[in-house]
Amino acid sequence: MQIEDDEILQGFIEESLEHLADIETDLLAIEKAGADIDENLVNKVFRAAHSIKGGAGFMGLTVIQELSHAMENILGMIRSRKLVPNPEIVNVLLQGSDKLEAMINNIQSSNDEDITEHLIPLNAIAEGNAVQAAAPKPKPALKPTVEVVPEPVVPAPVVSEAVAPEPVPEPVTPVPEPIAPPVSPAPKLTPPAAASQLTSTATTPKVKADTSLRVHVSLLDSLMTLAGELVLSRNQLLQTIGSNDLRNAEAVGQRIDLITSELQEAIMLTRMQPIGNVFSKFPRVVRDLSKQLNKTIELTIVGNDVELDKTIIESINDPLTHLIRNSVDHGIEMPADRKLMGKTEKGIIILKAYHEAGQVVIQIRDDGKGLDGEALAASAISKGLITAEQALIMSDKEKVNLIFLPGFSMAKKVTDVSGRGVGMDVVKTNLDKLGGQVEIVSEVGNGTIISIKLPLTLAIIPCQIITTSGERYAIPQVNLEELLRIPANQVKKRVERVGTAEVVRLRGNLLPLIRLADVIETERTYWDQEEAGRKEDRRGSIADRRGKTSPVFHTNRDDKGEKNKSATDERSVTDRRFAASSALNIVVVSTGSMKYGLIVDRLQDSEEIVIKPLGRHLQQCKGYAGATIMGDGRIALILDVSNLARMARLTSIDGTDRANEVALAAAELMRAQKDKQALLIFRNSEHEQFGVPLNQVERIEKIKRSEIEDMGGRRVMQYRSGSLALITVNDIASVHPLADHDDLLVIVFNICSKPIGLLAIGPIDAIEITSEIDGVTLKQPGIMGSIIIDAHTTMLVDVFEIVQALYPEWFADKLVFEVDKTSGVIPTILIAEDSNFFRNQVKSYMTESGYKVIEGADGAIAWDLLQKHADEISMVVTDIEMPNMNGFELTETIRKDSKYNKIPIIALTTLAADEDIAKGRAVGIDEYHIKLDKEKLMTCVHDYIKRLF
Amino acid sequence: MNESKGTTNKSLVELATFFVGDALCGMDILKIQEINKLMDMTKVPQAPSYVTGILNLRGQIVTIIDLGKKLGLGSTDTTLSSRNIIVSSPGEHVGLLVTRFSDVISADTAKIERAPANMGGIQGEFFSGVYKTDDKLIGILDVNKVLRIEEQGH
Repeated sequence: MQIEDDEILQGFIEESLEHLADIETDLLAIEKAGADIDENLVNKVFRAAHSIKGGAGFMGLTVIQELSHAMENILGMIRSRKLVPNPEIVNVLLQGSDKLEAMINNIQSSNDEDITEHLIPLNAIAEGNAVQAAAPKPKPALKPTVEVVPEPVVPAPVVSEAVAPEPVPEPVTPVPEPIAPPVSPAPKLTPPAAASQLTSTATTPKVKADTSLRVHVSLLDSLMTLAGELVLSRNQLLQTIGSNDLRNAEAVGQRIDLITSELQEAIMLTRMQPIGNVFSKFPRVVRDLSKQLNKTIELTIVGNDVELDKTIIESINDPLTHLIRNSVDHGIEMPADRKLMGKTEKGIIILKAYHEAGQVVIQIRDDGKGLDGEALAASAISKGLITAEQALIMSDKEKVNLIFLPGFSMAKKVTDVSGRGVGMDVVKTNLDKLGGQVEIVSEVGNGTIISIKLPLTLAIIPCQIITTSGERYAIPQVNLEELLRIPANQVKKRVERVGTAEVVRLRGNLLPLIRLADVIETERTYWDQEEAGRKEDRRGSIADRRGKTSPVFHTNRDDKGEKNKSATDERSVTDRRFAASSALNIVVVSTGSMKYGLIVDRLQDSEEIVIKPLGRHLQQCKGYAGATIMGDGRIALILDVSNLARMARLTSIDGTDRANEVALAAAELMRAQKDKQALLIFRNSEHEQFGVPLNQVERIEKIKRSEIEDMGGRRVMQYRSGSLALITVNDIASVHPLADHDDLLVIVFNICSKPIGLLAIGPIDAIEITSEIDGVTLKQPGIMGSIIIDAHTTMLVDVFEIVQALYPEWFADKLVFEVDKTSGVIPTILIAEDSNFFRNQVKSYMTESGYKVIEGADGAIAWDLLQKHADEISMVVTDIEMPNMNGFELTETIRKDSKYNKIPIIALTTLAADEDIAKGRAVGIDEYHIKLDKEKLMTCVHDYIKRLF
Repeated sequence: MNESKGTTNKSLVELATFFVGDALCGMDILKIQEINKLMDMTKVPQAPSYVTGILNLRGQIVTIIDLGKKLGLGSTDTTLSSRNIIVSSPGEHVGLLVTRFSDVISADTAKIERAPANMGGIQGEFFSGVYKTDDKLIGILDVNKVLRIEEQGH
């Protein structure tokens, strides 16, 4: 080889790869523009080809020079408008640039490459017989492009990471030309052969891992500055220590604190890469693939600038490619089919990245045929992955998500595009590894939205810190479902034994329990709050009470309890069953399909921690995912939740994990189909139980009776540097008076933008109810209805009504609720709601304010009513979950009819999930309101009515 | 360096010597990263019995191996005189907990003899040789053997 100067060669390679990365996107843009040439763009590509040619000539890389020269010629002709770029020409150019890239990556053997198959079409185009040259081309020309596509490897030599991995060009010659074979024989191959070829090429050129990283100089500069600062501060610190100057030490400490956090941030930034690096290759993938499949697809990319950690960027490439290919292959229909369905012939795929709630969301949305949940379920049943019974109780969403089950390949026929035996489960596994979540929302006929949620970085993760046996452990927040504390007096009731396993009842489900101390084989301990110390736990089962001074156990424990005697004496409480220390602290964790409770001694804060690997001597300890250094310099181990479950030999209670999960989800769903209402349960007197809608509660305060002041005939207390008016249920409703306790609770509400406190006593609890509320039997002023909860009749308090009765002046300026009667028209509102209670409640709000109300017990009835009373009805207020036709469907039906598409639609929900809100907005719901939040609802209703009249 | 032919130019090796229980051991000082007395370790439940715990060494997690246990001499108590000898192992640092640190001596490589099959109750496999001074016998540890992970676990 005549290449002598390594550095210059290296420079040439880097520069050329960078040019080529851009060429691809630019060529695609040129193709799109067609005759309407963007000169700047063509110029750019032209210059890129030109400089590669120049460099190659200088290095003596004749073959590269020749090829780039031929490309440059054509580009020159396009630039001078002698040639109109069409897909065929661009194809040839794209293949040329692929070949160039291959040769540059393999520079030592580039001069031995045979490029005639590229030169012939290139020259043919250049010589002006473009038509002939292009005409025979398209078919064979397409196949080679297929070769290119499967290389998820060539990450469109990502602009900022183009620095080649090996700085010194080692003689690569022994491997003759790994890239050449797929390209050269391809045109001769028959289609099926080409397909098989594809599989092999996909595996051959394996990832050239990027070991170096391009960082902006300004970022490096700031790192340097910070490092300098750090050194200065260190010197100061040493000096301060030397001079024993405490006051200065504080200042220096602060300074170091600032610098380190800034330094950390800056270093993290160096790892952040724009996701555009990955996205940039997809236009080509979609283009080539859609051509091959004879589909027309437009890919829109949004959010190229969103930045993610380098490791995530690298690993997201394959799953994304798979998903995009799936969309192109299975999602978007053939143009003819689309036309039949009344869609545009051109399919649309939108690839979008954006930030949401501290995470990055990547969304792939297509307007294709969508996923047919029924078909998926049928397929899963036939493959034995789920049973027919399970399928029956699955929601559509569940069915769609079946696609992620291992062993589930949904392609009816294996195409060479996406059905390569790599199922979606691999995609999911890969994303799981990154701490990402994937979710599919699909509607048959209308398309699919796949959302991937990714953490910004893998290096720092939020964790829950817990203590067991005196050591701290961290549980990644990703695995954390909830924290559960079972008070001592409920342990016996809620913890049960099933065989040898202990389980806890959690909202109607059985949750298996694992004692962390048992799994990792340390001594069982518990945390004694009164003595603020760790104690050895000797109970056999959790439900046993703690402490053994009860006479029954005293005798038979004495023999082995000798050495603990002194400890026993120290304990003052006679029966610990109800001592606070007997409470169970449970961390509910989930891993894949498994969910269980981990019993720990103490729950501590949640912290952002940096994961560090454990040494190889500890690799055999499967229970840990790593370690981290806590604020005090000590180490805490990070628990691996799924391995802990395995170590505890935890299996789900019935059958496969998945079946269990499905059953749970189904049960959940059954409940969801009724209206869920979250209630806060409390008491006023010892014997009567009350509830208020939880979403109305602002906060709950514990107070002493002595804090209540009687002023001007009203009860108030000082609260956040103001006075908080206090009310009780018995002020208005004829119920038993407030119990004479010293410790009271104040449930704070916000009514008429003023805080108001409802006095109550415990025990309080937050629960979700689904049963029908009885709005008749116990209704009275201040009480809107009743419901049975755990065999207790519970009265639902109408706080609004109580306040209105006690403080009518608060509502003086709220006359907006009254209908403006001057216009002479009384607006009519259509209410669609299946629950009698809620319907009556909302109706009473409306009639109170002077509106006329027409009510329908479900969406279908409401729709009929709307058509019947089309002229009167000026607004629709609808529930979401209803039989026959739900709120979404009702809205859609209304919006489809041009007669009604202007009518305001307000949806009422009990639990407004963001996803539902988004869905609601998409179908045309104007506003979302929480049921029973009278004030907000009415303000909103009035606003809309005002606009109409 | 251990292949010295015992010619006129003696090749010397600096041996760091320390006590594991009552046994005097030594190792090439160049293999030692540092010696510290940080004893605030975090126990790792279910770790091999010879692992005392893990230690935060300026942001690095270091596994501490109880050399006494590893060599079959019983566990090493952490006292005021106990020390961690930090050595580097592929990809990480590992600490060896020893009872007490002794001197650094210069040893003539030519005089290092082959280790006997058993020495002071320690399996000979952990030694690469023995060195005799006027009054002492120093077993020279084969650090790689000590750090090797047994297939059978603990």
